[in-house]
Amino acid sequence: MDASEVEFLAEKEMVKIIPNFSLDKVFLIGGDLGPFNPGLPIDVPVWLALNLKQRQKCRIIPPEWMDVEKLEEMRDLERKEDMFTPVPSPYYMELTKLLLNHASDNIPKADEIRTLVKDIWDTRIAKLRLSADSFISQQEAYAKLDNLTLMEINTIRAFLLDTLNCMYKLRSNLQ
Amino acid sequence: MDTQSYFPVPPGVGMEENFLSLDDILLSHERLPIRTECTFPRLGFLEKSIPESPGTKMELPLWLTKGLYERKRKVVSVELPKVYKEGWRTVFNADPNVVDLHKMGPYYYGLGSQMLHFDSPENPEIAQTLLQTFIARFRRTMDSSQNAYNEDTSAFVERLDCLEKALFRSGQSGLNGFQSWEKGQASQLTASSLVLNYRKRKITDVQP
Repeated sequence: MDASEVEFLAEKEMVKIIPNFSLDKVFLIGGDLGPFNPGLPIDVPVWLALNLKQRQKCRIIPPEWMDVEKLEEMRDLERKEDMFTPVPSPYYMELTKLLLNHASDNIPKADEIRTLVKDIWDTRIAKLRLSADSFISQQEAYAKLDNLTLMEINTIRAFLLDTLNCMYKLRSNLQ
Repeated sequence: MDTQSYFPVPPGVGMEENFLSLDDILLSHERLPIRTECTFPRLGFLEKSIPESPGTKMELPLWLTKGLYERKRKVVSVELPKVYKEGWRTVFNADPNVVDLHKMGPYYYGLGSQMLHFDSPENPEIAQTLLQTFIARFRRTMDSSQNAYNEDTSAFVERLDCLEKALFRSGQSGLNGFQSWEKGQASQLTASSLVLNYRKRKITDVQP
């Protein structure tokens, strides 16, 4: 799986926007998107929000978790815990990149948020590598993967699966 | 997108070889020291040192040895190469990370697994050493493949066995994919490497 494919899946998440145009209810295959009235907030998928923003037809409201204090708490909690802590959103990395690239004027303290999210990401990836290493060096049979996001799994998937394949074949030599 | 148009057949790790894998074909060219147990009449032209009497030592490639080896009719008996013997095994058990596996024969794991076909009495220890070496070296390989972005890794990679090199490459590709996505290069269209080689004239070159 590519990083771009994970980003595509992330674009299905809902985000709040404030449109500046009006439109009746739209009936799409994936679901209905409610009537748009200028100045009234409405929930739409991220792909639509980004498209409207690029055409300057809306203002994006950052999701609740995209706030400096909350992210700092999460980062400190992540550093303290050995296991993976619950994430703000299953696609936090992709949403951060998309929203901060296209709508940074609607999000206060964008740079700090970017740094904090990167810190959280680095901590989680380091924990993931530690647990992969202990998984292999102790030849355990299974590992618990609570609270891991798809993007993190995606970066390590190819390497880990190849290693496990090799290890399995070398182990079958023992018989 | 990073999809390949050519999927090479991977080497079969372990006691099976993949017939179509280039790595396995190259592996089977490694020479093993053997002792002949019976005469090879009139085959002296094949190799200068070929014996006419049984019990001579010589070196044959793996593919030939595998074909000639038979448990019941003793045609050849295989000695272990130096790297899989007792002395080197203790070195590997002590600290596998310092060993230059490429120098020990670029196909350490592959050849070791193939040696298990030849029913030597030390087979369980060889298999165990292979596994333990692999596990111990895994940490270094993972760390350097996941952390070295845009750096020169040749000093580390040249000490790796072929199997580990393939793992290193897949780790690097995961890392590079993520980094290029983060920089936004994933959505930029670039000419495919296959087409660049055709050296066609681009429209910007033709127009005055």
